[in-house]
Amino acid sequence: MAMKAAVLRHIRLSAAPTRTLGLASPASCRWGGVLGSVFRSLSSHGDDHLSKDEVVDRVLSVVKSFPKVDPSSVTPDVHFQKDLGLDSLDNVEIVMALEEEFKLEIPDLEADKIDSTRLAIEYIYNHPMAG
Amino acid sequence: MASSAAPSPSEVLSLFRSLLRTAREFSDYNIREYMRRRTIDAFRENKLLEKASSVVAAYSDGRNQLLVAKRQSVVYSMYAPGVKSIMEVRGSSGD
Repeated sequence: MAMKAAVLRHIRLSAAPTRTLGLASPASCRWGGVLGSVFRSLSSHGDDHLSKDEVVDRVLSVVKSFPKVDPSSVTPDVHFQKDLGLDSLDNVEIVMALEEEFKLEIPDLEADKIDSTRLAIEYIYNHPMAG
Repeated sequence: MASSAAPSPSEVLSLFRSLLRTAREFSDYNIREYMRRRTIDAFRENKLLEKASSVVAAYSDGRNQLLVAKRQSVVYSMYAPGVKSIMEVRGSSGD
């Protein structure tokens, strides 16, 4: 599972050839060099980006399925703590649930800022690796 | 040992997040779920602590648990069985 994720990460990186060779660590250099040309043609990075509607739907369904939340009060512009009556621990839990839904790793600095559905949707929509 | 100052809210949240992330890394379904539940329950329970010394004690206990969990997730992954727990199989009846 972790291997698959690591391979996918390298495939996506190889899609932008000139940039990644500079960024590549010694380990991924082998992938970029050997498989870069193969995967460049297979990877259609532009196509598999999520649509805004899909991001909105999935974010809202994650928030709605959180046990302490009243599903009817969840909108694309609702604040977790101020509108939904959650606390900071719940906030962390929700962001973790979003990470799992979209298969992302959100760094702590960014995760601390996500305190509403609007920010969550914006962050995930703009994240190149959201899946 | 010198007494340390109480952890800030952001340090507490950071510990909370680290514990949940480490829970995710376990290959064993049971431990993963238990660690998640236990972390959430413990932090909720301790949310109401007032005495600074209790807060410091709870925080350092949490940190120690995090270190144990990190080591254990490595050890468990070395001996993980090839088969997933039935609870992880999607589409099994009763879902």
